Amino acid sequence: MGFLIVVATIPGLVIGLLCGLVPLGVGLRHQQLKWGIVGLVLCALAGFSFSLIGGFIMLVFTTAVVISYAFVDREDPFTSRASIEAVNFEESQLEFLMRQMAALGRTIRQSVRALIRNKAGFLGFIGILFFVGISVFGPLFVEYDGDTHVERLQPGARTLFQKPSSEFILGLDWKGRDIFSHMVHGGQNLIITSIEAGLIATLVAVVVGAMAAMIGGVVDQILSAIANFILTIPQFPLLLVLASILSFSNRFYLALLFAALSWPALMRAVRAQVLSLRERDYVQAAVALDLGLPHIIIREVLPNLMSYIVVNMIFSIRSAMYYIVGLVFLGLVPLEEPDWGVMIYVGRQQGAIFNSDGASMILSPVIAIALFQLSLILFTRSLEEVFNPRLRSGL
Amino acid sequence: MGAIPFRRTDQPVSQPSLWSLSKKLLRSVYRSYIFRVTVQGILTLWVVTTCTFYMIRKMPNNPIEVKIDEFQTKQNLTYEEARSKVAGLFDYDPDAPFIEQYTDYMGNLVQGDLGRSITTGRTPVSQQIAKYLPWTLFAVGLGLLISFVIGMIAGAAMAYWRGTVFDNVMTAFASISYGIPDFVIAFMILLIGGIQLELFQVGDYIGSVDPEIKAGFNPEYIRSLLQHVLLPVTTYVLASVGGWMLTMKSSTISTLGEDYITVAHARGLSQRRILFGYVGRNAMLPLMTRLAISVGFVLSGSIIIEYIFIYPGLGKYLFEMTGKRDYTTIQGIFLVTSAAVVISNILADLLYGVLDPRVRVGSK
Repeated sequence: MGFLIVVATIPGLVIGLLCGLVPLGVGLRHQQLKWGIVGLVLCALAGFSFSLIGGFIMLVFTTAVVISYAFVDREDPFTSRASIEAVNFEESQLEFLMRQMAALGRTIRQSVRALIRNKAGFLGFIGILFFVGISVFGPLFVEYDGDTHVERLQPGARTLFQKPSSEFILGLDWKGRDIFSHMVHGGQNLIITSIEAGLIATLVAVVVGAMAAMIGGVVDQILSAIANFILTIPQFPLLLVLASILSFSNRFYLALLFAALSWPALMRAVRAQVLSLRERDYVQAAVALDLGLPHIIIREVLPNLMSYIVVNMIFSIRSAMYYIVGLVFLGLVPLEEPDWGVMIYVGRQQGAIFNSDGASMILSPVIAIALFQLSLILFTRSLEEVFNPRLRSGL
Repeated sequence: MGAIPFRRTDQPVSQPSLWSLSKKLLRSVYRSYIFRVTVQGILTLWVVTTCTFYMIRKMPNNPIEVKIDEFQTKQNLTYEEARSKVAGLFDYDPDAPFIEQYTDYMGNLVQGDLGRSITTGRTPVSQQIAKYLPWTLFAVGLGLLISFVIGMIAGAAMAYWRGTVFDNVMTAFASISYGIPDFVIAFMILLIGGIQLELFQVGDYIGSVDPEIKAGFNPEYIRSLLQHVLLPVTTYVLASVGGWMLTMKSSTISTLGEDYITVAHARGLSQRRILFGYVGRNAMLPLMTRLAISVGFVLSGSIIIEYIFIYPGLGKYLFEMTGKRDYTTIQGIFLVTSAAVVISNILADLLYGVLDPRVRVGSK
């Protein structure tokens, strides 16, 4: 299990509702009731699924959006027709906050519009939401069925496997357990581990790649040599051997291992991008002004890399999921039920491949994984538009 | 002879010139691309070997322990009995110092000897690899070739007729093929095609060739060979053709926008000549490099696909040997696959120079 366990909880719902009062209040104050209610609902949902973290982030976002609808830029004092003495140049703290929030809100609105505009990308987004939603909210409605049910044996059948029926919509597995409940409960661990692995790999790649390109010299050579070296060894065989060495009890270490092996490809790409960005005029100007390495990387270089990085992060999450399911499927990771990968592994061990009654045990997780990965790929198209400043400003 | 005094007087001058000549030669060798890349490659392989050597031996359980366990559970022997039995079987001493094992192994390796397999009756590792490698090469190589050719043609056609229904349908197919992992396709073929729809008997298509058919160049054997390679190859093709199609499409589209294509149209060249001589050749360039690089990964094959179809390739063998902790075999497979990657990377660089005259001119 990862360091983050996400299950919808009732206290989370309460937190979310409390958070949602803020955008609602702001909306009432500025006559934007419609958006205030939307904010309340979104906050409640986010709080419900991710408790305090989700609720708070959603609070900030939705409030910003509400403010961006209500906020009108104050008159520019320099173009004001009133006499210059009468104009107040000072901006109060509240006004400053409002202006910042409105700017953030406008960015969010543009991003959402960009997200919806690309149909394929939006479809991917809906797909991801669907699977995340099922993993988060599903356990509230579907009880986990973990016991062997011999009594469900059908007369005349030799195994407990059962084809999908109206009672069990995805059928029964080899122990007579409801496959649907396993599907609902088994995705979360896999999805979270993959996201962790993808995030860590991307983070390492970006930091190392940017460092190598900006510092250059010996550091660059050493880091590039390490990356090239790791790229030479075929990844999956290495992962296979390493996984059987370490035989993890904790999936988080698996994510770390994946990250350790998969950062080089992205790191080389980031390095090349940064090297070319470094020669641009605006970066040269920042260097000439001696703004410092952190400022140059974070303010000048990263925004232009953002869409590239985010898209690659999605790819990274996708291949992490592939590798993790592969390792589970080969039986190299301690089996923890419920899990989609374990379902494939056990299903194959128990002969579901040759038993037409049991095909559902393998097909359900396999199709779910395929759809999730497809959603990720489609989603990258929207992300490109959301994070590319040039595409976004064209809206 | 008149030449003798001439030579004698010239000697002090010719000596340094010979020296400087050889120095020049050495320098040009050192500077030459091939030399640098070869040294780099050998260094990489050495580091790979050393790292894997260390790692593999740090795995919990050594081959002896695994076999003792097996004997204990299967034949109900006591630990001592099993131990003595295994000691007679295996030619491996787990208590030998690590450094000694390493120097032994490296000494053999320098002489081109990959050592002997620990668990499979002391057969040479090179022989084992030679036994399983052709299977993987055949399946993955065939899959790569087919998907590459289809991807190139379809991708170019998609770019040429872009915006049409054909393009949209093919792009959707390519995205799906690219998005779905290969083992998903393998399971779908087996479960939907084989079990649900009963299009074929699963048992006839998985595993290796029928043991009853004699190996050799006879029609039955070849038929059986192709029959058993069909499903893995179909999986590889379906899983990778989308990537090739999308790459070829974007590459062709960017080539179609180049000035020299417009010029070729303006010169009134035939459509056919523009397509094959100008667009096709240039659009293919980036793909050739990718092809060369992916050839390097052919050897490592796909462990998962071979495992699903019980196909007797190197990947499945590596997986089995990892379970048995056969150190020398794992080591040998890693060395061979990494060497393939190193060599194909070098070839990819060289190939690009050959195919693209602009790179050659630019480097001089």
